Amino acid sequence: MNRTEYMAALRRALSVLPEEERASALRYYEEYFDDAGPENEEKVIADLGAPEKVAGQILADYREVTPVPPASDNAAPQQNKRRWNGINPWLLVVLVLLAIPIGIPLAGVLIGLLVTLFGVVLSIVLMVLAFAVVVPLCLLAAGVILCGMSFVLWSMPASAVMTLGCGLALFALGVLLSLLIIKLCILFVPPLFRAFVALLRWPIDKWRGRTHKNGGDAK
Amino acid sequence: MSYPIASSLLDGIVLAVVERESTYGYRITQDVQKVLEISESTLYPVLRRLQKDGYLSIYDEAFAGRNRRYYKITEHGRVQLRQHRIDWQNYRNGIDAIFFGGNHQ
Repeated sequence: MNRTEYMAALRRALSVLPEEERASALRYYEEYFDDAGPENEEKVIADLGAPEKVAGQILADYREVTPVPPASDNAAPQQNKRRWNGINPWLLVVLVLLAIPIGIPLAGVLIGLLVTLFGVVLSIVLMVLAFAVVVPLCLLAAGVILCGMSFVLWSMPASAVMTLGCGLALFALGVLLSLLIIKLCILFVPPLFRAFVALLRWPIDKWRGRTHKNGGDAK
Repeated sequence: MSYPIASSLLDGIVLAVVERESTYGYRITQDVQKVLEISESTLYPVLRRLQKDGYLSIYDEAFAGRNRRYYKITEHGRVQLRQHRIDWQNYRNGIDAIFFGGNHQ
């Protein structure tokens, strides 16, 4: 085993610790290797012993330091704690049964609310999209049609030129607006999308962070 | 023969080593190993705990192109070390009295 393998094994063995604790321990042993010098690498690995043993010492001490009530020599609070952790399965069944009459309508209302909210958001998005697509298209189309009409009106040169001018102006306006909207999309769509994803991920991350921390505390 | 080292005694020893001068993990291990048989992996948890309890603070200093983490004793740590010294003195006097007779009582 070389230093890299040793550190990888140590990282694995410490994976139950919160990120900050693990990083601190890994840094300490990286520096330990650095300070011992590359020529002593094998000696350090031999002296330290199995990475699992090193990790075991860190974990044992971490358990002492974290606020699991300092009652290792006093059994009563420990038992209390255990009772809190395990909920009686029969009690759970009764609770679930009791919750059904309230739970189902409540869930129905909640789902209804979510669907409504989704519908509103969707319609707003569609409206904005429609506006952004339809308006420039209409301008472009109107420009083309006016230009076409101007050829029919060629017997009255003044009207024809006027119509052609208006058509070209509308067409140009349509092109400008399209470009503007494309630019706006490029500017705003990715951040909006990212914000949306972040919003969706937030509860998951939070939940994961909490279980992680609990995992650390529970050891 | 050697005596098992209580964790509070180890705390006191580490505090005393760091009090002499701010130093880093490898050096602390070497210094303590000169007088005690401890394993290389004993001290990290002790240092981390002392740091969390506010007896030691850490700072990084550049050394040979990398950052080395130094440990420095805090005021809180000095107070604690004073107490360790008193406790040790009492403990030693008690053992001495039994081992070598009642000079100290």
